[in-house]
Amino acid sequence: MKAQWPQSIILRAASLLAPGDQRAEWLAGWRSELWYIPRRGSTGFCLGAFQDALWLRRNSPSAGRHLESPLSCLAFLALLAAVCNLVAVCLPAPDTMTSSSHLRLRDLPAGCIAMLLLSGLMLPAIRLAMGPHASRYPLPWRNRLRRGIFLALKIALLQPLMLVGFFAVVWLQPVVPMAPQLVVFALWFRAFRWVLIDQRDRCPVCLRLLTAPVRIGSASQTFLEWYGAESTCSRGHGLLQTAEMPASYSGKPEWLALDDSWKSLFCPAGPSSEAAGVRHP
Amino acid sequence: MADGPRISHTSAMILQAIGIGHIYGYTVMEVTGLASGTVYPALRRLERDQLIRSQWERQSIAEAALRPARRYYKLTRAGEAAVETSRKRYPLLAKLASREQEVQDV
Repeated sequence: MKAQWPQSIILRAASLLAPGDQRAEWLAGWRSELWYIPRRGSTGFCLGAFQDALWLRRNSPSAGRHLESPLSCLAFLALLAAVCNLVAVCLPAPDTMTSSSHLRLRDLPAGCIAMLLLSGLMLPAIRLAMGPHASRYPLPWRNRLRRGIFLALKIALLQPLMLVGFFAVVWLQPVVPMAPQLVVFALWFRAFRWVLIDQRDRCPVCLRLLTAPVRIGSASQTFLEWYGAESTCSRGHGLLQTAEMPASYSGKPEWLALDDSWKSLFCPAGPSSEAAGVRHP
Repeated sequence: MADGPRISHTSAMILQAIGIGHIYGYTVMEVTGLASGTVYPALRRLERDQLIRSQWERQSIAEAALRPARRYYKLTRAGEAAVETSRKRYPLLAKLASREQEVQDV
């Protein structure tokens, strides 16, 4: 079937979810398949492209690479926070929060602090639900402090997003009961889960995202043996071993620190090599 | 313990479909009755696990037939072994092949 405009729009929209470096080939594949689909059912066929694109994004090694360095991650969150603050100021404020029709700039910190208190309640529960984290690795206090500050900044920069979500609940509740609460709570949960997963997937020394994940072993071919994934710090600080299925002997992800004798296996710390996350054996 | 890789029923159906000659994504959808949102991600997962491999059809062949080139899939050796194992685990999968034969006979 020749692609009609609704199908083309669906595929184009779904392609935005695919990683940029694979988008053109992904779109070409779906368009060529669409040519063979009978007109009836072609829309349903195209809707499946969203699941495929999401799978590709989740499993692409390049996914999330643009947030590899801690500074770029914080810059992204700061941009998101700025946009959310702008939305919070522009939209009409709930009657109970302020006497004016719009939230004033000076009210924003108070709103964010209120959200921070709510986060303080949510975070331990989410952390508990996510299961065990990497075992504590004996780090110098400076590294521990830097890691803690990085986590605190990420959580603080998420508060404007939470505030906008709270406003959305207050505005939409009279129109659609329950649904906004559930959606916003799910979004908050996803955002905090991402913060914690991002923290876990970073090198505890340099805070860069770990690269080159390698699958080790197979669920069907091991018996009482560890199997899962191993990621590497692109600067050669160590390896994170995460079991695919936690067991009594491999419950927590393990951080394996590499000493200086391994340095020659990794790229020198230059911007281009770090961005690519290339490892030279 | 199983002597081969354990795969889900959906993956087994897809492997079986490719094994009996349905080498394109859409034909796999047709023969298995699965939705595109299930089949295409599963094909990628099976390719990542090296149970199938994919290739683009040669452009010249597609142009000669006045149609766009499409990606086709083939079982690898590991995939063939997985199909054999899954047939033992899911005996009803054999019906997929026999139903296909019936359709061809009609």
